[in-house]
Amino acid sequence: MQAKSYWSKSGYRKDDIRAAFICLAPVILIFAAFYMLPMIYSAVLSLAEWGMGSMTGFVGFSNYLAMFKDPYFWNSLQVTLVYTLGVTVLSLPLGLLVALGLNVKIPLSNLWRSLYFTPSVTATVAAGIVWTRLFDPYDGLVNHLLRVVGIRGPAWLSSPEWALVAVILVGAWKRLGFNAMIYLAGLQGVPGELYEAALVDGANAWQRFAHITCPLLLPTTWLLLIMCVIDSFQVFDLVHVMTSGGPMSSTEVMGLYLYRQAFGLFHMGYASAIAWVIFLLVFIATLVQWKVSGSGGAGAYGEAR
Amino acid sequence: MRRPVSRSLVAVILTGLLLTMVFGSLVAHAKDEIVLEFWHYWDGNNARAVEEFAAAYNELNPDVKVKPIFVPTGELLPKLEATAAAGKPPAMAIADIAWMGRLLRSDALLPMDAYIEEKGFDIDDFYPSLLEYSRYQGQTLALPITTNNLALFYNKDLFRAAGLDPDSPPTTWDELVEYGKKLTKADGSIFGFEMYSQVDETGEGLTWNLQPYLWQAGADFLTDSYSRPGFNNEEGEKALQFVVDLFQKEKVAGLARKDSFGMGRAAMVVNGPWMIGIWQDSVSFEFGTAPIPYPEWGKPATNMGGEQIFAFRTDAAREAAAVDFLMWLTSTENMIKWDQKTGALPVKASVASSSEYRGFIEDTEPRLLVFVDQQRHAHARPPIPEYADCSLAFAKEMEKAYYGRVSVKEALINAEQALLAILEKGR
Repeated sequence: MQAKSYWSKSGYRKDDIRAAFICLAPVILIFAAFYMLPMIYSAVLSLAEWGMGSMTGFVGFSNYLAMFKDPYFWNSLQVTLVYTLGVTVLSLPLGLLVALGLNVKIPLSNLWRSLYFTPSVTATVAAGIVWTRLFDPYDGLVNHLLRVVGIRGPAWLSSPEWALVAVILVGAWKRLGFNAMIYLAGLQGVPGELYEAALVDGANAWQRFAHITCPLLLPTTWLLLIMCVIDSFQVFDLVHVMTSGGPMSSTEVMGLYLYRQAFGLFHMGYASAIAWVIFLLVFIATLVQWKVSGSGGAGAYGEAR
Repeated sequence: MRRPVSRSLVAVILTGLLLTMVFGSLVAHAKDEIVLEFWHYWDGNNARAVEEFAAAYNELNPDVKVKPIFVPTGELLPKLEATAAAGKPPAMAIADIAWMGRLLRSDALLPMDAYIEEKGFDIDDFYPSLLEYSRYQGQTLALPITTNNLALFYNKDLFRAAGLDPDSPPTTWDELVEYGKKLTKADGSIFGFEMYSQVDETGEGLTWNLQPYLWQAGADFLTDSYSRPGFNNEEGEKALQFVVDLFQKEKVAGLARKDSFGMGRAAMVVNGPWMIGIWQDSVSFEFGTAPIPYPEWGKPATNMGGEQIFAFRTDAAREAAAVDFLMWLTSTENMIKWDQKTGALPVKASVASSSEYRGFIEDTEPRLLVFVDQQRHAHARPPIPEYADCSLAFAKEMEKAYYGRVSVKEALINAEQALLAILEKGR
């Protein structure tokens, strides 16, 4: 009834509304079948025990409690946080730097933009395989270049200390182009008059960047930060291809740990519980960021406008 | 006036078609034919072979129709378990030995002992280690159909370059180290030996590559009917120390994450017979095979994989027909043909020693003989449902020892504790 009054108030004709829902039906059905139902099923599974290809009984929250006592779960949480932090800290400032460079009128600017964007649209598995070769301790390009400048490179992916660094570098490399493009769009949305006014007032390049560009890019930065955190938190394929979580669990991110529990050991209940913890963490991070960006970021942008 | 006529005509035709289909299928089943669905995930040569054998059997037994049905590998076990739980399993199926721990305990498989006894089927001809995956609580619930094991591969070109005889690969642990040192290059370009050192999805890659050394030294993975770990002892320590030394002390093996042997960057590696065909097509060097080296004071041992074939509990007529087919298929005569068609290793001593089979191998791929003869030294990995968890926990602890982060003794103690906890929980 309420819905009806809303629709009638909105001024749509009844036929139009029906047509709209008929057109939307496939999307709604697909969303329900492939997003909502699996989510509900995994929530049920996370409270259950799995054996012999089906659920064998409900165990309450014991899957969640088991996580607290599982050192490999805590390890995967830590690895995921370090990965997320690393990729974010590297790819955001570098993305901004690239965007600033691309914003200058240079020859072949479209070519440069395409080149920087390429990693973001390269298949992760293919990129992972190529980077695995590049990180080869003996004949990989990375250590070869290091040797040229007189540094003896580490064993990278076979080293418990360096494997995560290597994976973070590749993760940031893949992220960089996307960040740069969004920043570029943000830069081009900054009104030119502001810079002209600042120039008249005698502001130098750094002051213009710090007092005009930065604040105006804050909403863009928040958007990228949220996307980067959400994406990095769910990283799976890149790590799967490059290290399989090793050596010594040093790159075992949560996504990979979940996968190992689910499809290596068939602990579907435990894996579903891990999936829900990942979901909750991402959800909380998103809420916090939206809260902060809602009061600070967007406001600043709105004011400047 | 024409439209209604054409409509009823269409309706008549459609009804007619439907009735033909329904009666057609009824007539087809009216012949009293016993249809035996046989679920498998084989492709290539194996799929062709299973179709041929089914056709041959159907020819011999007109009242039975064996129907091989392909199910993708990843779906077979869940489907078998689901259909068995619903009381509608296929008559027969195959399974990887890794799944047998679960299947043997499912109460869905048909005990075959009465049939075996009645027909005088020589079950003791199968290698005893393979039958570990066939029996549970004294009942025979499955039969071995294929197998494979691990042996040493070595790069003959690198042997020649290091001044070693390409026709006498190492046979003992000491020789493996000695040869390894001669083959290893100080600049890191070539390692003498490649030892699998990654814990991937399940850890099983690392575990099953380490187990042969435990068995060679006289230790075990699980002991006392798989009830407790059997490696935290003097023998287990010797085995793990040997492997850790390859990485840490002798430095003849690298902690690398890839197929170094195939790239010509490791001179020796332990792997399965399937790699003969793969490397045959992909490498430019000459390679040979040999049994896994074992210590003078120990005994030869290797690890193995394979598949089992079994019948489900259905109804008396289908059960009897299914067991008859399984025994027919795994008869020595048919197994010789099967192994020639598929390239699988013999699961029976009588096949491995038959001159027909050996002659065929010598003519086609003599490097396979090492695997054929090593099969009698193959050990079974524990066919228990907790095995996957045990394997991963074990691999994680061993990896720390490979990297020199914990001592051999610590690694064995930690692994023992972890496995005891898993076995305790499973009980």
